[in-house]
Amino acid sequence: MQCSLEPEASPDGKWGPLVTRKSLMRSGLAALLVAPFTASALVAGRGQESGGSEAESSDRAEGRGATDEEIVLGVSAAFSGPSRGLGTELYRGAMAYFNHVNENGGIEGRKVSLRLYDDGYQPDPCVQNTMRLMLEDKVFSLFGYVGTPTVTRVLPILKKFQDEKIFLFFPFTGAQPQREPPYGEFAFNLRASYNQETAGLVDNLVQIGRRRIAVFYQIDAYGRSGWAGVRAALDKHGERLAGEATYSRGEKFTGSMRKQVEILQGVSPDAVICIGAYAACAAFARDAVDLGLEVPIANLSFVGSENLLKLLTEGQDDAERYTRQLINSQVVPSYEDTSIPAVQEYRDLMARYDPQVPADLVQEEYAPFPHSFGSLEGFLNAKLMGEILRRLGPNPDRAGLEEAIFSIEDFDLGISERVSFGPDRRQGLQSVYHTVVEDGRFVPLDDWGARFG
Amino acid sequence: MRIRRLFKWTRFGIFAVFGLIVLSTSILCIYTVDTELSAEYEVNTQNIAKTIADSSAGILLNQNLATLQSLVDQFLEVQGIRYIYITSETGEFLAHTFVPGIPEEILESEHSNTAPVERSLPGMGDFIEVGSPILAGVAGTVHVGMDLDVVALKIQRAIGQQVYLISVMLLIAVLASIWFVNLAAKPLGELLAYAVELAKDGENDELGERDILARDDEVGHLARLFLHVSRQGGGRGLPAGTSGTE
Repeated sequence: MQCSLEPEASPDGKWGPLVTRKSLMRSGLAALLVAPFTASALVAGRGQESGGSEAESSDRAEGRGATDEEIVLGVSAAFSGPSRGLGTELYRGAMAYFNHVNENGGIEGRKVSLRLYDDGYQPDPCVQNTMRLMLEDKVFSLFGYVGTPTVTRVLPILKKFQDEKIFLFFPFTGAQPQREPPYGEFAFNLRASYNQETAGLVDNLVQIGRRRIAVFYQIDAYGRSGWAGVRAALDKHGERLAGEATYSRGEKFTGSMRKQVEILQGVSPDAVICIGAYAACAAFARDAVDLGLEVPIANLSFVGSENLLKLLTEGQDDAERYTRQLINSQVVPSYEDTSIPAVQEYRDLMARYDPQVPADLVQEEYAPFPHSFGSLEGFLNAKLMGEILRRLGPNPDRAGLEEAIFSIEDFDLGISERVSFGPDRRQGLQSVYHTVVEDGRFVPLDDWGARFG
Repeated sequence: MRIRRLFKWTRFGIFAVFGLIVLSTSILCIYTVDTELSAEYEVNTQNIAKTIADSSAGILLNQNLATLQSLVDQFLEVQGIRYIYITSETGEFLAHTFVPGIPEEILESEHSNTAPVERSLPGMGDFIEVGSPILAGVAGTVHVGMDLDVVALKIQRAIGQQVYLISVMLLIAVLASIWFVNLAAKPLGELLAYAVELAKDGENDELGERDILARDDEVGHLARLFLHVSRQGGGRGLPAGTSGTE
C-alpha cells in the first residue's frame, strides 16, 4: 500500500495558555480537515485477532489484503465503556458464523478472521484504529463498526484512500452519512436506516392519535440523525417536534435524567422517541416513570434492547412498571421466532460456539446474552459478508469487491426479506420490526391501538 | 557601630522608585494583556464561527444533519468553546451542543444576529457569543459561545505570570541595593568608631597602628586625617598621603 499520512494536529487538539489567532484557526481547521485522518488520537485502541491464525501482514502488504491462508477483516467497535454491550453482542453473532465457516474449510480454503480494536464508542480512538487497520494491519475490508459518531468520522478516511478499495461493510448504525453522497459509495449497509426506523415509529404513533412527539437524544451525530428522521417523519404528517432533551454520549445508568424528563414534561408529549444507547435510555425510562411521565417511550434498534431491559428490570420488584410503555424498533426479526431459518441457524451456531470477546479486550465485566437482536444482526452481517467473499472466487482482491456485491440480487439470507445490492442500492434490508416487553422479554407488537391507543 | 540614619532615606528612595516601576509596569501589563487577549478571543471565536459557517453550507443544503452535528462536535473540543448552535433561516435549531436542552434565553434570542453579545446562562456560566451567517444568512446562522470564565482565567494567568516576574525582579533589586548600601556603610561605621576612640584617647600609640589607616580609599584618608588632627591638636598642615582635593 502506498500512502503517506503524517499526523498534523496536536495529540489532543488543545491550545496552550496563550493562544494566537493563527494557532486557534490552525486548531479549528485541523479539527475540521485533518483530525479525521490523523493517527494521533486521544485513546489508543487495543487490538486482538480472532477467528484464524496470526496473519502475516507482509503478505497482505502486496495489496490484496488477503493471504493464501486467511482473509482478515478489520473491526473497531465498543468493547469497553457504557456501550460495550453493543460491540460485544455484534461481535459474538458475527464470530458464530465465521467460526462455522472456518471449521468447514473456510472460504476457498482461507479462514476468515477479525482484527479487533476497541474504540469505546468514541470517535478519536475509532479514527486511530481505522488508520492502524488500513496502514499497519492491511486488512481486506472494514467490517462491523459500531456507532454513528465513530463511523461518521471514519468515512472521510475511506474517501481519502479510495484507490485502495477498502470498503466499510455493515456498520451497526442506521445513520445517513454512509448512505448518501459524498461518502455513501464507500460503505455497504445491511440494516434499515434510522430514517426508516423513526418513520415507522412516528407513522404508527400518529395513527393511534399520539401526534405530540418529543425526542430524547444523544447529543452527537447519532442523536442528530435520529432527530432528523423524527422531524422529517412528523413533517409528512404536518406536525413538528413537540420538544427535545439531550444527554452526553457515555452517560451511565446510574446518572440522573430527571432534568431531561422535566424538560419534556413541560411540553406534555403524547410519546417520546429516544435516540441513544441502552444505559442512558434506561436511565431516562426509569426517571420518566418515577416522575410520572406515563407515555410510550420508543427506542431505536441501536439502543441494545436486551441490555436496556436488563438495566430496567434487574433487582426491581415492580419491573413491569418501567417496561410497559417501552416500544423498541428492530431491524432484524425476533430471535425467538425459530420458524425463520436464519434464526434457527443463528441459535444453533450461538449454542455451539458461544463466541467470547478476546480476554485482552475485556476491561470491564460484561455478561453476554445467549441471544440478542445485536448478535443476530452480527450473524446476518457475517453471513452476507461470507457470501460476498465467496463470490470473489479463488483469488480474492479488493478490486473485485464492488462487482461481487453488486452481483447479489434477491439473495436469501434465511429471513423473509431478500437482499439485493447495486450501484444505487447500498442497503440490503429495508424492514423494520416493532417490539414491546411482555413477560420480561421483547415480543412483536402487532396491535398499536390496543396497546397504546 | 552601624550607620543606619545616614542611609535611611536612600533605602526609602530605592523602595519608592522600584515600587513605582512595578506598579506602573503591572498596571500597563494588566491593561494591555486584558485588552489584547479579550479582543483576540473574540476575534478567534468569530473566526471559528465563520469557519463552521463556510464548511456547513454544502452540508446544510444536502440536509445532512448528522454530518453537521459531527462537524460542530469537533469544534467543541477547542478550548474555551462551550456551545455551538446552528439555526436555519427560519430560526429552527438544526444542530447544537446543549445538554440537557436549549436554554430559554437562547431559544428566545434573535437568531439572525451575528454581532457579539454577552450572555449569562443559568447553570452554565457567562459567555461571549458571536455569530456568522451561512451563505449570507439565506441558509442560516452559526453561533459560537466562548466561556468568559475560561477567557478570564487565561487572562489572569497571563497577567499573573508577568506580575510575578516583575515582583521577583523588584525583590532581587531591593535586596541587592540593601546589600550594596550595607557594603558602603560598613567602613564608615569603622571610621566613626575610630574617630570616637581618638576623641577619647588620642595619645594612645596603638591607635596609630590600626588597619583602617592602611586603607587606600576615602575612609583611610579620613582616618589618617583624624589621627593627624588629634595628634597635632588643631589641624595645621596635612599628614603625608592625604590630599585635600580628594
